Amino acid sequence: MDALEGLLYGFSLALTLKNLAFVFAGVLLGTLVGVLPGIGPAAAISLLLPSTFHTDPISSMIMLCGLYYGTMYGGSTTSILANIPGEAASIVTCFDGYQMARQGRAGPALGIAAFGSFFAGTIAVVGLMLLAPTLASFALKFGSPEYFSLMVMAMTLVTYLSQGSILKSLMMAALGLILSTIGLDPVTSSLRFTYDILVLRDGLGIVPAVMGLFGVSEVLLNVGAIMNREILQSEIKGLLPNRQDWKDSSMPIVRGSLLGFFLGIIPGLGTIIPTFLSYGLEKRLSRNPNKFGTGAIEGVAAPESCNNAAATANFVPMLSLGIPANPIMAILLGALTIYGLQPGPLLITEHADLFWGVIASMYVANVMLLILNLPLIPLWVQILKIPYTILYPLILLFCLIGSYSLNNNVGDVIIMCVFGAIGFLMKKFRYEPAPLVLALVLGPMMEDNLRQALLISGGSFTMFLTRPLSSVFLIVSVAALLLPLLKIRPTAKFRQPEE
Amino acid sequence: MVKADRWIGLLFALFSLYICVESFRLGLGSYQQPGPGLISFGAGVILGVLSLVLVFVAFFGRTIERETWHNRGQIVMVFLAILGFTLLLEWLGFILAAFLLVWFLLKFVERRGWGFSVGVALAVAGASYVVFDLWLSAQLPAGILGS
Repeated sequence: MDALEGLLYGFSLALTLKNLAFVFAGVLLGTLVGVLPGIGPAAAISLLLPSTFHTDPISSMIMLCGLYYGTMYGGSTTSILANIPGEAASIVTCFDGYQMARQGRAGPALGIAAFGSFFAGTIAVVGLMLLAPTLASFALKFGSPEYFSLMVMAMTLVTYLSQGSILKSLMMAALGLILSTIGLDPVTSSLRFTYDILVLRDGLGIVPAVMGLFGVSEVLLNVGAIMNREILQSEIKGLLPNRQDWKDSSMPIVRGSLLGFFLGIIPGLGTIIPTFLSYGLEKRLSRNPNKFGTGAIEGVAAPESCNNAAATANFVPMLSLGIPANPIMAILLGALTIYGLQPGPLLITEHADLFWGVIASMYVANVMLLILNLPLIPLWVQILKIPYTILYPLILLFCLIGSYSLNNNVGDVIIMCVFGAIGFLMKKFRYEPAPLVLALVLGPMMEDNLRQALLISGGSFTMFLTRPLSSVFLIVSVAALLLPLLKIRPTAKFRQPEE
Repeated sequence: MVKADRWIGLLFALFSLYICVESFRLGLGSYQQPGPGLISFGAGVILGVLSLVLVFVAFFGRTIERETWHNRGQIVMVFLAILGFTLLLEWLGFILAAFLLVWFLLKFVERRGWGFSVGVALAVAGASYVVFDLWLSAQLPAGILGS
């Protein structure tokens, strides 16, 4: 199936009334999540996941992807109007977006964020559509050693590119690997670290763990904290940017989109780092860099385009290789396995309906978000005024009911509570949850591929080094581990100053 | 690094030692046929070495005393509330448990008035019944209300 044929097939699936409703629900919920501080896309997708078990995988994935997309759009609204990033990728938008709003230009800031996101999203979907099948057919040549090395590379890149201490990130990856071994050993059927607890026999549930790490822990961190929300009271006028705004923003939107897409493919970079890099690039290219931070429209256009492009690009390694680029992709990967699908290079050919349906739904989601979001801004402003004291009991209740309804088992709720406490302590002591989640997801696949590779090679590890692709992946992994020792780290700028 | 990394590193080192011992018991197998404990043993060794490096760095490197613990009481109360919800869910049923959770959080953690906390809790419990039971048909426990 070529790209055009596939896309038309995808549209025939995405444009059914049922799937349009799922896209709509996804983008609307996503925007809501993006607008509300205190709940991010990872927790929101985990929360929504159990409710998708009763429907078919295509519609479910369409809704979950729409939700992810929506958060990227919604995050900019709070950044511009309240100087609070609704989700982490919108931090940079605060710098100039809020200043624009204070100068009475909230409308053009919101407008350019929406148009930039639309352009970037569309470009990135085209890139995803062309790149993912090519990458997947290339990956069909991979054997167990290549897969094992690729997963090692993904994990080391995630730790290398993390924003906290690399030592702590590596520790979290190792902890994630240990936790991933809980449950029944697939080869010998012996129970590992289950302590006669029934819910652990099938392995540690990724969804309740993620709900705890990203949902409950965030609430615990925010409880009692005074959320200073200075929402602009003045009426938002003129969402359409003027001619000068377009002139200033057009190239930053193009650059942001391209940068976001190519960086978003790399596991570990996620959406946050590309937005910072995009902002830095625009500042460097600007004839008047001093205006950045004082309300420059380029400072909104570039990062907003970048985060949407990166969000879409994150799907490339997930859909083509079965390798998640960030915790959100890890949850979506987990969702695919729950739906009974095998993630990996065969996914696109064996489940072409899912791949092309999701791709087409991304186009639809982009259009929906553009049409929906700008008129709904007054509604989002009202929602922003809901005090956090009322919001967090609701978030907790959704987490609790969501985790219970996974298997109708209190054990999953307990896992979520435990991981909520662990996640809270991790954030307090600056341990990043992303490497832990990725290791938790990749662990079983890594183990499986390692065992197969050793079985094939008769116990020789040289196979990992003698096969060219595998050795390249391992060289990159070693470089990712050694470069921090030489103080070379692209994320150093974005790290907390004390780290 | 924060100062607490000294004892956190030690805790992780002990944890990794336990994991290595347990993995050894599970069986490491051979290179040709790896056993069920191999991956956890390897990860345990890596975690152990990294933990010791962390302890070393935290003791001899530059550390800052930054971990602040505001609202400890409220955090503990929220955590106990969700644990209580978990333990009572099947017995009380999700509507009553949801009511109690929201009421407790608003009344005792956020110190809102009786009227407000009871009103919001009733609204949330009612809404969750409509959303989860009637709309999504989620198999949630009815508890004592169902019997």
